[in-house]
Amino acid sequence: MSDQRPNAGPSALLQLLTDPGRAGELTLADWDTLIRLARRARLLGVLAHRIQSRPGHLPAIPDCVRGHLDSATIYSAHRVHLLRMELAALARVLPTEVRVAVLKGGAYVIQDLETARGRLPNDVDLLVSRDDLRRSETALLAAGWEAEAVDDYADRYYREWSHEIPPMRFPGHPMEVDLHHTISPVTGRLKPDRALLFGDLQAVAGQRFLVLHPLDQILHAVIHLFQDSELVDNLRDLVDIDSLLRSYLQSADDWLALTRRAGRHGVERPLWYALHYCRKWLATPVPDGLPLRPPPIAMVWLMDWLYPCCTLPRLADRPPPVARRIAVHLGLARYQWLRMPPGMLLRHLGHKSVQALRWRPAAQHRAE
Amino acid sequence: MTAEPPRLRNLSPVLLRQRLANASVELDYGAAVVRVGSDLAGFVADLQRVYGAFSLADATFADFHTQVRRGSGVRAYLRPQSRFLIDGIQPFDPFPREQALAHFEWGVNWCFAQRFNQHVLLHAGALALADQGVIMAAPPGSGKSTLTAAMMLRGFRLLSDEFGVLCPRSGQLWPMLKPLALKNRSIDVIRDYADDLILGPVYKGTRKGDVAHLAPGDASVDARRLPARPQLVIFPSFREGAALRARRLPAADAFAHLAFNSFNYELLGATSFNAVADVSESCPAFALEYSRLDEAVDAVRTLLADATAARTGA
Repeated sequence: MSDQRPNAGPSALLQLLTDPGRAGELTLADWDTLIRLARRARLLGVLAHRIQSRPGHLPAIPDCVRGHLDSATIYSAHRVHLLRMELAALARVLPTEVRVAVLKGGAYVIQDLETARGRLPNDVDLLVSRDDLRRSETALLAAGWEAEAVDDYADRYYREWSHEIPPMRFPGHPMEVDLHHTISPVTGRLKPDRALLFGDLQAVAGQRFLVLHPLDQILHAVIHLFQDSELVDNLRDLVDIDSLLRSYLQSADDWLALTRRAGRHGVERPLWYALHYCRKWLATPVPDGLPLRPPPIAMVWLMDWLYPCCTLPRLADRPPPVARRIAVHLGLARYQWLRMPPGMLLRHLGHKSVQALRWRPAAQHRAE
Repeated sequence: MTAEPPRLRNLSPVLLRQRLANASVELDYGAAVVRVGSDLAGFVADLQRVYGAFSLADATFADFHTQVRRGSGVRAYLRPQSRFLIDGIQPFDPFPREQALAHFEWGVNWCFAQRFNQHVLLHAGALALADQGVIMAAPPGSGKSTLTAAMMLRGFRLLSDEFGVLCPRSGQLWPMLKPLALKNRSIDVIRDYADDLILGPVYKGTRKGDVAHLAPGDASVDARRLPARPQLVIFPSFREGAALRARRLPAADAFAHLAFNSFNYELLGATSFNAVADVSESCPAFALEYSRLDEAVDAVRTLLADATAARTGA
């Protein structure tokens, strides 16, 4: 029953994602924990897809386990189907002259990347230029999409300080739409080169929507994980990055192009962290000696403690250990610090604390 | 030779309470194994009653890991509650503590409907004679659970009261053998229908009205790992004073009823279309109107024998 068995902790999950051929060697007791950990990390579908792609190993996997793997890939295929339907609905109403790119999961799906297999898309993320933002929003509202009800403060927060407007949804549609005008918060310390980003948008055969340049797709995932997240429970974002690196980068020159592009966007530090953990945890074939300056050694030590504590999935059967609770708070503090300058952060936290004193409905737990 | 594991009803309540406190009781429903832990004494007693025929097996793998826990803080004393947790997470609001078992049953149904998409989950009861299966499909309030209970008490083996678990690979029905949830008037009807039945406590005023659970019999429990081949589809409806009437339904009607009342039909896409189409094509479907349970049970028995004979003769 312990997470500490060698074949059933987070490290076993990482190994299995990297080397799904090992699936046949696991015992039922290992699976008892691993399926739950993978589900917790929203990676069960990805894991299932990887295992099912090596059918030679399937007979060695017990039926009850294969049932959960089947269920996960079926559920993922359903979410992908919903995402395609939402994109089709959006394509019908967005003004044809506006260049719209799909980001993240949606982009992996319309390009039919290996990264999309078994993944669970949450919502649809679209990118338009700031000049086209109002027009696109108006078109969606006119066609029946409704903005999530947020208070004036949150609305202003979204519009002035964030990189997206409040999420929208067509009544009855299962997928939410996030309309972005850039790929990182406008108040954050990092300012990706928007001219480069929009200048290199790519067409996808047979699709109304564009996608980012392949290297920008990687860097966007990197920024999202190491710059614009609280680091908590998001192993799946690292798994995306690993998969994109493997899909897009074939030669030493490709890797150099990625580092150069990171330099032009000013995101070398997050890229360094992403490659560090991809190599360490997912055996990503990152070449040695890439021209990326490492962060100060003390920062690396801190992250090497903080990141695994926050990110690796754990079962919620027992209360989290103290280290995890501290790490989660630090992860949140880091996120806020990177997201806005100190003056603005003080103001934002001040507002949030006053709000926290007021009554609000209890947050719904999400089990899936 | 290992000894048969003991049935829950033969365990000392103290031992069962200990095992539940350690979250090491596994309930084998056939299609799924659920591990459960609890610190609620009332829940333990109710569980032992309606799961009496289930055995205390040691499973190394459980499909769902659940807990039924008391509320926390001052609340636990002011308005005692039961909380249902899966993998340590509470997916919905607590119930009053006395209704812990009903809450657990509801929670397991929820887990199953959310996470068991390798099967087509028909919103239907399922029973069998040996491995010849009957699907009982009807909207709530039509007397489906009452007739299902009566059939079990008259020698059919119960596969499930709520989920017709149709495996798209094999086309077979899997048992998902849970206590049969009787509602409102059917509680008294079934209580008077047989002598040797075991009913759990009546939970008054749940969100589905009054609910009581009928314990599955030993024969159904012992066969919980044996799937059945669907042979017959019945859409029962109870009408006071009605004469028994079985009306054959076109396959397309049966298909529409089964598909659109399934929990996950849309989710499985073509897979569920094919599985449900196979059932509708190969099994005769009847709308069965009844007022007397015994007549209805006999009618289903005859229809099943005819359907099986027609199938094997063909």
